[in-house]
Amino acid sequence: MSAELIPDSPSGCEALRVSALSKSFGATRALDEVGIDVRPGEIHALMGQNGSGKSTLIKCLAGYHHPDHGAVAELDGTVFHLGHEVPDRLRFVHQDLGLVHELSAQDNLALRGGFATAFGGRVRWREQEAQTRQMLKRFDVDIDIHQPVGGLSPVERTVVAIAGALQGWSGDAGGVLVLDEPTAVLPHDEVERLFAVVREVRRAGTAVLYVSHRMDEIFELADRVTILRGGRLVGTYDISALTSGSLASLMSGEDVDPDYRASVDVEAESPVVLEVRNVSGRWLRGVDLQVRKGEILGIAGLSGAGTLELPYVLSGHGGRSIVTGDLRQPHKSVQWIPARDATKLDIPLVPADRQSEGVIAEFSVAENLTLSVLDRLSRLGTISKKQEAHVVRGWSDRLKIKSENFRSPISTLSGGNQQKVVLARCLAAEPEILILCEPTAGVDIGTRVAIYQRIAQLASDGLTVIVSSSDEGDLLAMCTRILVLRGGVVAAEMDGREVTKPVLVRAIEGD
Amino acid sequence: MGGNHSEEAGAQLGALATKKQVTRPSLLQALAVDKIGAVYIWIAIVIVFSFWAPETFPTAATAKQILNANAVTALAAMAIIIPLAAGVFDLSFAYTMTLSGVVVVKLILGGTSVMAAIVIAMLVAVGVGVVNAVIVVVAKIDAFIGTLATGSLILALVTMVTGGTSMSGAEMTGPFAKVGQAQVGGLTLPNVYVVVIAVVIWYLFEHTATGRRLYATGFNPDASRLAGVKVERLRFLSLVASATIAGFAGIVLSSTLGSGSPTAGVPYLLPAFAAAFLGATQLKNGRFNSGGTIIAVLLLGTGTTGLALAAAPAWSQSMFVGLVLIAALAVTGLQRRSTSSSRGSQSDVGTAPADHPEAGARSSAATTPQA
Repeated sequence: MSAELIPDSPSGCEALRVSALSKSFGATRALDEVGIDVRPGEIHALMGQNGSGKSTLIKCLAGYHHPDHGAVAELDGTVFHLGHEVPDRLRFVHQDLGLVHELSAQDNLALRGGFATAFGGRVRWREQEAQTRQMLKRFDVDIDIHQPVGGLSPVERTVVAIAGALQGWSGDAGGVLVLDEPTAVLPHDEVERLFAVVREVRRAGTAVLYVSHRMDEIFELADRVTILRGGRLVGTYDISALTSGSLASLMSGEDVDPDYRASVDVEAESPVVLEVRNVSGRWLRGVDLQVRKGEILGIAGLSGAGTLELPYVLSGHGGRSIVTGDLRQPHKSVQWIPARDATKLDIPLVPADRQSEGVIAEFSVAENLTLSVLDRLSRLGTISKKQEAHVVRGWSDRLKIKSENFRSPISTLSGGNQQKVVLARCLAAEPEILILCEPTAGVDIGTRVAIYQRIAQLASDGLTVIVSSSDEGDLLAMCTRILVLRGGVVAAEMDGREVTKPVLVRAIEGD
Repeated sequence: MGGNHSEEAGAQLGALATKKQVTRPSLLQALAVDKIGAVYIWIAIVIVFSFWAPETFPTAATAKQILNANAVTALAAMAIIIPLAAGVFDLSFAYTMTLSGVVVVKLILGGTSVMAAIVIAMLVAVGVGVVNAVIVVVAKIDAFIGTLATGSLILALVTMVTGGTSMSGAEMTGPFAKVGQAQVGGLTLPNVYVVVIAVVIWYLFEHTATGRRLYATGFNPDASRLAGVKVERLRFLSLVASATIAGFAGIVLSSTLGSGSPTAGVPYLLPAFAAAFLGATQLKNGRFNSGGTIIAVLLLGTGTTGLALAAAPAWSQSMFVGLVLIAALAVTGLQRRSTSSSRGSQSDVGTAPADHPEAGARSSAATTPQA
């Protein structure tokens, strides 16, 4: 850790000031005497790895958790009872945004702020519409306020949520808006638009407490940053005093190289294990590609370029009615098969969204892990519990899954270990090719390197890996080759070990 | 947020546990209140009614009566727990029961042999199941609405067959009567059917790959699909299975009643669902299972029979069923909420959902949109 980094000290006129905040869950101390000072009208980043206590801190501010005794909090100089009351000028946009997707922007805003009504509860729609436009005007977005917000782009939804959080703001300056991981799900091109919105909030004199995992955006956006580690305060720093290396070190407590690259060797003459010819779907417009054994092939691209769809098509889950094109595995058969029958190739996919598409929450660890290989564990349809335990033990040892009892629900595991169970499920089927979607979504930098190394190790053992990610860092860290999709076709192909980040980003954005 | 601490602790425990991680549930755990709470309530009401109606309730005759009177309810409940485990409703089962019941009676009264009539009625039921499955799985109509609609269609068929009146005749006292009325040690044959079907379903759910995949399908179809489970095929077969068992239950019911009534099956709709959902809170918390369902049928049957014997007012029986159901589901709901909130505090942010402009396209493609 760099010794010359001296944390800022409080200046005495904070918008939000919290000190001596502790919170225990049973025997676990999630926050230990943490404090934070947000100055009026600044963008203040809150950073830390998973388990550092960021979320607990935000949840205490939002009144969701009651902190342990002794915490002191002030907003604009007024003391408030942290965890029990939330001052009017402390507003939140949580990660899930809290919007009703089926309702329009106008209705979503009115749900929070109330409808403009006349006698008998009749809604004065014209006035309501004018109010809605007024609220959205300052953010310079052109959205249809009558369309269900589910049809808006993610950044437009975020804007609606921010406008909703700020409505009824009394007075101009002062107060704090808390944004909890607003960019976690935004593709690169939309992050810039969100930044403009956040800066607009700051321009009006409102401070922003900005929680994020992404280091690059902190340098672009934030004025100061507070870092937590293991439930303790590391310090608050001026962003200009930090580099990405020193920030990573402060967060992880050890020296981390943000330019880490996993070493993978692919023999140039290794056989082609998958060939894709003219595949189209909802977003794809005729993709051709080849993958060789032992490669880690990265798929990059903006939202709507097909980066999210391609993995699902290759694994046979792309929607049979719209997928066209052909696939083949030339080392096995010269026959091309229609891409809509891709399930026949048995290429497993590790989804980005673990909760909705990865784990089966009601199932035990063992049941989750063996779901794809039940036939191998069964005789005449009856599962052998002994075989099952054997497979579970084997994969748990290999991937170091930490579980006290494999018959207990998977929800008793930490998120990272749940992800390993999903990976083990895919690997247990002994596939030749594995597809990973957003392998580091919501994962902090210390754990990322472990993921890169594990994937590199699998590739060295002969597995072919296809990685789709909206994080260029992921692709640069482990891919041997990167394909850039643009408008549903392969627009560029680059050697993953030679390409630099600016070159990749330019290729993705297409200028 | 504690993630670090608990993970370290987990690492140590994990290292200790790797050698003996597959622990068998002990007897004490198996008898825990949260596993078989309904059994304790059942024992309690048996005691209550033994004091309340000491002359009539605590007798062997009452015990047999409860079993005999509820065997068809148990059969009906067995029919629906298969699709319920796979995450689909079959509201049409009660009408399927009626249909197979009137078909078998109509055929026998028309001179068909008992065996042939039973086979034809079963085939009709299987046909209904296939229609349900095509509507729900192939046409992707929400199962709740879809089977409600087919229920109405089946009712139309029933009225066509019966003309809206109950059918009976001398043939009803012949060999066909044995199907539902023959006795084995004071208990009617339907009790035997229940035990056989319950054991088969238990084996299917607990010990076979198909059963595991059925549960996976019911809990999270998207994740199951990605894991290679044939979600659509399982749902299709589950609806065929429920109609088949319902058809059998309808034949048994007609034999028991000695007639083919156009309204015979409908009174089983609510009790069967009540038993299935109450049963899911027993033994395997949160999973539909045959053992829990039988416990639930017995609990509800004992309560209503006891109330009748104790000469409680007529409305008390329906009230009893409603209250027990709400209480059981509320208690398990509370338990889940408390475990999930303590869990929620243990993990930091978790995952970033794949919320992407393409996400909508993908999920509508990858998942089954159910109207």
